[in-house]
Amino acid sequence: MSTIRTVDLEKTYSDNGVPVHALRGVSIEVEEGEFTVIAGPSGSGKTTLLNMIGALDTPTRGKVFLDGEDISELNRNELGELRLKKIGFVFQAYNLIPVLSALENIEFTMMLAGVPEKERHERAFAAMEKLHIAELAKKRPNEMSGGQQQRVAVARAVVNNPTIILADEPTANLDSETGADLLDMMETMNREHNITFIFSSHDPQVIDRARRLLILKDGKIAEDRR
Amino acid sequence: MLLKLAWRNIWRNSRRSILVLISAIVGLIAILLYESLSMGMIHQMLGNQIGSHVTHIQIHKNGFNDNKIIQNNIADAQEITAALDSENRIKHYSERVLSYGILSSASSASGILLAGVVPDQEAQVTIIKQSLEEGRYLSGEKHEIVIGQKLAEKLEVGLGDKVVAMASSLDGDIGSDVFRVVGIYRTFSSDFDRVHGFVALENLQEMLDFGTRISEVAILLENANASQSVASILKETLGDRYEVLPYQELLPLLVMQVDVSRQAMFVFYAIIGIAMIFGIINTMLMSVLERIQEFGVLMAVGMKNRRLFNMVLLEALLLGITGTIIGLILGYLCYLPLATNGMDLRNFSDGLGALGIGAIIYPELTPQSVVNAALIVPIFSVLGAIYPAIRAVRLNPISAIRHV
Repeated sequence: MSTIRTVDLEKTYSDNGVPVHALRGVSIEVEEGEFTVIAGPSGSGKTTLLNMIGALDTPTRGKVFLDGEDISELNRNELGELRLKKIGFVFQAYNLIPVLSALENIEFTMMLAGVPEKERHERAFAAMEKLHIAELAKKRPNEMSGGQQQRVAVARAVVNNPTIILADEPTANLDSETGADLLDMMETMNREHNITFIFSSHDPQVIDRARRLLILKDGKIAEDRR
Repeated sequence: MLLKLAWRNIWRNSRRSILVLISAIVGLIAILLYESLSMGMIHQMLGNQIGSHVTHIQIHKNGFNDNKIIQNNIADAQEITAALDSENRIKHYSERVLSYGILSSASSASGILLAGVVPDQEAQVTIIKQSLEEGRYLSGEKHEIVIGQKLAEKLEVGLGDKVVAMASSLDGDIGSDVFRVVGIYRTFSSDFDRVHGFVALENLQEMLDFGTRISEVAILLENANASQSVASILKETLGDRYEVLPYQELLPLLVMQVDVSRQAMFVFYAIIGIAMIFGIINTMLMSVLERIQEFGVLMAVGMKNRRLFNMVLLEALLLGITGTIIGLILGYLCYLPLATNGMDLRNFSDGLGALGIGAIIYPELTPQSVVNAALIVPIFSVLGAIYPAIRAVRLNPISAIRHV
């Protein structure tokens, strides 16, 4: 059974009364352990597709299945619960909580999931050590570089053991060397722990590392390369 | 962790939070001072009435309180005093003969309430002896009278001067006697001082052909709060021939004023609370609008609406509690010197005298008013945060994350 399956996914926005067709019938399947990049020009629907898979948005038509469960019909709170348990997000702008330290940021999603304090502390520390950022534990986001913040954001995404990790342009704000380091780290996690990654990016160095490349054009899958 | 997050969020914009804290602190100090002052004033009024004449409980022949004629008298007080001696919550009591009459001097005359008292007994239950400004208290000898300063002024008499008292005697004739002013007192109430004159019990009994009858027994308790329970026990023991009235029934207007003043406090709370609530709404709304992107991320990573809602309320609650702690401490520090030294209102003392209050008011802070004050700011803070919290949970995570 595939981890993610979308069936004829369509999304239409209204932009000042003018309908915008962001997705026009996207059907894909992503298996467990894949390292997939969704690429395509701006406005091709990358982020919209990622939002649908990430249970952040609901489709106008079509269905999204996560671990076999149809998530297109869930309400706001059920979607929240699903995101908490099954999806890890890495955002372009890192989006750590500014008043919490790195360690606390990583613990935060576990706190939301109801993990007891001692356990989440241990798990957060273990994740930081694995990602070689243990020395950042007490630092707040404004005391860290962009690369460091994005590593903390990755640790936050993985620590709850999600089914998939969705990364929306994770290297866009990083220089190429830092971006490469980050991608190394994500690749290692994918290889060693079989974590499923789906990226949306037009950064060539992200595309180069894709083991599966989905190219979107005008809201449709133009190419599916493995 | 949510607590830690909420607390740190408060201090992200410390200037704004401090402004809210200041408004809470000033409001609380105002509440504490206003409440303690008004309670102190009313209790002083009540205390003065009780201390100058009313006492905690009075016993009369049934009907006396509504119709204070001397025919409504207690023929034999022994039954009553025996009941009083067996109740250990009673501190002292005083037997009195009361009669309305006229007191005249060489130059003027005035209507008065003449009280015949046993000097030693009366000195234990009222403050007349301590309130003497000139002369001395009754010795128990005949033809001595102690009057209030206002009455002395009206009659234009001083110590040693003679006055003539006239009152209706028991058989309907006019009883009269000559008294020499031995003492002039001044209580907190100028009204009281204008109409009350004190003479020896037996002297008045003789003047009114009263025999050994008395009009009332005035009782002082160890603890004023027991007045109603002691009164009901005495009522049961003494039966229907007598009326046993606690001060709450003797001073209904003043007791009502205490209640009204307590209710007025709630209006005051509401005014302070409403003034504060707009500050909280403004602050929390600004704080929510500044963090739209962050709320989007919190929602994206799975924070449920209820939790997000509670987090915003928690921030306001913490702000309210912080303001309350500081406000209570500062309010108490402002109250302490006033409670010890009193608030000197001598400039207004004529008006206060007419109200039965002294020139110096001692504010009184009760545990209840501290609890009320402590609750008011946190409650209104949370109420004020509801709308901003609703705004926060209504955000759409996708557009919120993209918000700049």
